[in-house]
Amino acid sequence: MTEVLIKVGFLAIAALNGAVIFTIMDVKGASWMQRRPGPLHVGLRGFIFPLAEILKFVQKEDIIPTEVDRPVFKWAPAYVMVSCVALFAVVPMSPTLVVADLELGVFFALAISSLGTIGVLTAGWSSANKYSLMGGLRAAGQLIAYELPLILAVVGVVIQAETMSLVGIVEKQIEWGVPFVVGGQIVGFLIFMVAATAEMMRVPFDMPIGESELTMGFMTEYSGIRFLIFYISEYMNMFILCAIASTLFLGGYHVPLLPTEWVNFYGPVVLLTKTAILGFILVAIRWSQPRFREDQLQNLAWKILIPASLVNILVTAVMKVGF
Amino acid sequence: MEEFFNNIKESFKNVTLEFETINIQIDSTEWIEAHLKLRDEFNLKFFSWLSAIDWDNEVSVGDAPKESVSPSFEIITCLSDLANTNLTTVSTNIDKSDPKINSLVEIYAGSNWHEREAFEMFGINFENHPNLEKLYLPDGYEGNPMLKSFELISREVKPWPGEVDVEGMPEESESDES
Amino acid sequence: MVNALDPQNMNRFSEASVSVEIETEDMTLNIGPQHPSTHGVLRLVAKVDGEKVHDVKPVLGYMHRGYEKLAEVRSYPQITTLVNRIDWVAGFSNEIPFIAGAERLMEIEVPERAKHIRLILTEMARISSHFVFNGAYALEVGALTPIFYAMEDRERVLDLIESVTGGRFHPNFNRIGGVKPAAGAGPTSKKNIQDLPAGFYRDTKVAMEKVIQAADQFQNLIGGNEVFKKRTKNVGVLTAETAEAYGVSGPILRASGVKSDLRTQTDYLPYDQFDYDIPVGENGDCYDRWDVRVKEMVESAKIVLQAIDSMPSGPLQAKVPKVIKVPQGRTYVRAENPKGEMGYYIVSDGGLGPYRLKVRTASFSNVSILPIMLEGALLPDLIAIMGSLDFVLGDVDR
Repeated sequence: MTEVLIKVGFLAIAALNGAVIFTIMDVKGASWMQRRPGPLHVGLRGFIFPLAEILKFVQKEDIIPTEVDRPVFKWAPAYVMVSCVALFAVVPMSPTLVVADLELGVFFALAISSLGTIGVLTAGWSSANKYSLMGGLRAAGQLIAYELPLILAVVGVVIQAETMSLVGIVEKQIEWGVPFVVGGQIVGFLIFMVAATAEMMRVPFDMPIGESELTMGFMTEYSGIRFLIFYISEYMNMFILCAIASTLFLGGYHVPLLPTEWVNFYGPVVLLTKTAILGFILVAIRWSQPRFREDQLQNLAWKILIPASLVNILVTAVMKVGF
Repeated sequence: MEEFFNNIKESFKNVTLEFETINIQIDSTEWIEAHLKLRDEFNLKFFSWLSAIDWDNEVSVGDAPKESVSPSFEIITCLSDLANTNLTTVSTNIDKSDPKINSLVEIYAGSNWHEREAFEMFGINFENHPNLEKLYLPDGYEGNPMLKSFELISREVKPWPGEVDVEGMPEESESDES
Repeated sequence: MVNALDPQNMNRFSEASVSVEIETEDMTLNIGPQHPSTHGVLRLVAKVDGEKVHDVKPVLGYMHRGYEKLAEVRSYPQITTLVNRIDWVAGFSNEIPFIAGAERLMEIEVPERAKHIRLILTEMARISSHFVFNGAYALEVGALTPIFYAMEDRERVLDLIESVTGGRFHPNFNRIGGVKPAAGAGPTSKKNIQDLPAGFYRDTKVAMEKVIQAADQFQNLIGGNEVFKKRTKNVGVLTAETAEAYGVSGPILRASGVKSDLRTQTDYLPYDQFDYDIPVGENGDCYDRWDVRVKEMVESAKIVLQAIDSMPSGPLQAKVPKVIKVPQGRTYVRAENPKGEMGYYIVSDGGLGPYRLKVRTASFSNVSILPIMLEGALLPDLIAIMGSLDFVLGDVDR
């Protein structure tokens, strides 16, 4: 019983901390690239920003427009948050530091992460607002389209590692000596990162939010804490997808030269570092690229990424059987 | 500019050039033909603007005209040519009690919005216009604002103070420095 | 229960079709008047089918201030103040044609130095307006960073305008017969012709060099960006014939391939003393409109650099009577505003103010082609096309 409680508590803390770390990185990265001094220098060298943000949202009035579908409207953020927090349960920080080392770790992760689509779609539909509706429909199209490359890219890793458990995948990479990104899955890695960016709905794939067109898209009618839940779960999603990417492709908690007895201590740090590096790349892309148009986005998914990931699986399978 | 002026003088009767602006004065029944001619023969394909002037002796804002005029609307269009940079204005006078004139939409597509604006501001009826409705003013607005008889409410409350001289001219006021 | 294997029913069941035309209705989407991308309070009532836009009806008038009626109640110097606010992004360039028209009617000869100063400030206003366009257009297409860079570079130019005229956006610097003797220059007499502030030449040179660098940076970072090119190439193509018929002018016309720049006819400013290029586009799509404006910024910076090197000395204002009465007559003066062709048709009756002032603004004609250009576009394309037309609501609604 206490174990369950500790694990649940850990999930909550890890999720929130991950979101906070990535919020700080995103905002500081943005202000560094845009030459704004605010989040870089003001208020404890800029680190007071998450506290200010959370306090600001918490003290806002909770406005629910009259015509919305109230139960659906209120539960939509919950779907999105649940689908993000549940992913924290399978990512290992060391061979033993994992909330639940499932046999079907990868399968579970991909299945749960697709629950977020329901949240986004219902949020767009239930707000009685045409712009939210357009944002929600665009999101539905985008998220469903990019799930396939995501899954197919991971299938390549699973073939190479012969197991779906995340701890097992990292162990296989330790056994091989090189992380999978070098050991043959570079194409899979790139496809996974592109698809993950689209799943997170970040620029260049932020059509559902489309700030200059739809004024926050499906999140337009949300205010106060409800918006905070969407906002935080976006960063949680970013954190956990980067963590999963670094587990599957970059070797997770393992670093070649350090002794394995101490892995419970340096494992989390290594994983966090790799996640942060991937996150920084995403931040840099966000603040420098324009956004894709919806049909170009779908083109990219269906005509380029899915065939590429299928070819990737084919090549991986041939190499696995042949050598 | 000079040779264009001479060319136009051969085709139209009443052409003047003053202050570097050519003005062709025509009758309102020849409105469409004149514009067709200007567009095809003289190559004036760029439609700049269309507007109207309300000539009246009793004005409620501003000053009345110095010499007495017969009340009428004067409709002016301005056409130009992008290649040779010729510019001309075409003006005609129409009756104020029943203001109507043919629309130029068939000839110049750009006159659409200009005619709508003249319609709502002056009350001029453009025949054969595809969509003659208000452009700027909100629904339910009564009156035609640009008529000289239309009163400005703010001037009712406080009449125009006239020319208020706040800055002295440089040569005369050597001692007038702030 | 129907027997599906009965041969008599087979025909009926084999009629199933795979794709049925679903009847859909268009959704009426109201874009604006409050919207992040409409450059003001423009309202578009769009009939949208999914993402495709079928029909767009612009509704104007949310910013109509009645300039033409206001001008009938004011004197010429008072109207100069008003006229700044028509195209508020490039405030100085709105005053120039109006003052030139009044000077033409009064037949006043403006001193050379005043003409040069007017030209420099007009070109700086053009640079400032194009910076706003660059930053804001990138923001509408989705790149969130260039607007900060554009605004930062624009601040330098605005500081220069402020140091000369005292105002950043609405300088109100022109007077009939010349420009205003600079504030703080002391008693303005014949001996004292120090009017531009100290350090103006040096600061202008630095600012213009930075403008040329910034334009180069924009060409590389935004113009070379694959996603930007995909969003703007072949989007919103405008042919030269349509543009001419509708009265579209300025960079939009030049992007459609017509090499027409009114600065070559502006005889009240000494443009013929400097040499500059006129950038022309090829296709008339959004990318060309963006490209033409970035290149124009560079040309304007070159003109300013040439102009401050060859600034003549002399008085700042010609001799005008104390109370300005413009003699009877009418004239049409036009100028190349950053947004397009701006003109004033002044009908003067010999009074303190004009009998009728008609303001021909560029954005009014530019916006009238929106319903044509938006046929069959997608919703994100609508935003990109609107942004590339670069209109300001003060210009559209007057």
